[in-house]
Amino acid sequence: MKQTEFIATVLPFKDMLYRLAKRILVSSDEAEDAVQEVYLKLWKGKDKIKKYKSPQAFAVTMTKNYCLDRLKSKQASNLKIVHSNYQANESLERQLEANDGVSIVFKLMESLPAQQKIIMQLRDIEEFEFSEIAKMVDSNETAVRVSLSRARKTIREQLRKQYKYGIS
Amino acid sequence: MELANIEKLLEAYFEGNTTLAEEATLRSYFTEASVAPHLKEYVPLFSSLQLAKEEVLNKELVLSEETTKTSRNWWYGIAASAAVVAIIAGFVFTQPNLSQEEQEALTAFNESKKAMLLLSQNFNNGTEQLALVGQFSETTNKILK
Repeated sequence: MKQTEFIATVLPFKDMLYRLAKRILVSSDEAEDAVQEVYLKLWKGKDKIKKYKSPQAFAVTMTKNYCLDRLKSKQASNLKIVHSNYQANESLERQLEANDGVSIVFKLMESLPAQQKIIMQLRDIEEFEFSEIAKMVDSNETAVRVSLSRARKTIREQLRKQYKYGIS
Repeated sequence: MELANIEKLLEAYFEGNTTLAEEATLRSYFTEASVAPHLKEYVPLFSSLQLAKEEVLNKELVLSEETTKTSRNWWYGIAASAAVVAIIAGFVFTQPNLSQEEQEALTAFNESKKAMLLLSQNFNNGTEQLALVGQFSETTNKILK
């Protein structure tokens, strides 16, 4: 596979991968690095891409796994530093942004468990079919629906709390 | 879109039972201006989902890093093959030296063979002389008869 052909197949979904990476890693710098890394890996294995039915699904799975690994190693390495003073700042930030409905939804999505977060991202933002998502996250459609329902409900509950709090 | 339908879709949405088309309908309803008051609490959710679609990657992706790596590999290949050629060439050039040694050994062998032959010839000469001695005793016997 030549570089032009590779770019034509793989580059159209760079933004989608970036959004997914950012959903998992939160930091935009980290997400950029992750996408870069994923593209290098894809480029390295470019001859294998053709074998996959959907290069897009393959890239999504790759990004998901890379980001989760990244997250794991991060949490393992600076768990102590993050916990002591970072937490206070974040809750302050959260209160400041409480008025802004949109950013609060993003914050709520951040606090979801990783799998639910990923599934919600793939369904509600990237608009994939359940069958596609099931392949991407290596699961089945029923499980995907259940996770999605849980994620949406959690956000609804939290939003209701915030909403009532805002009114009273 | 009538309100009852939207409410039904919302219910299905939270159960994870809506199709992509139905979800699009919900998003467009909630991002439009006129949302029923009792459904206002869902506006932030759908408007942020809509907004999240628009985020793009601003950084240029680098693929050339890989090409420099492959050219380095190429150089490794050249270095390795050069080393192999040098080793083979070394063998080839040292080959005549070895045969020269062999030639020396061969000449030495020939020399010693000649020496051995000379020795055995002289030894044979010696036995011829002995034959003469035998003849001498024969003739003396004739005379003494």
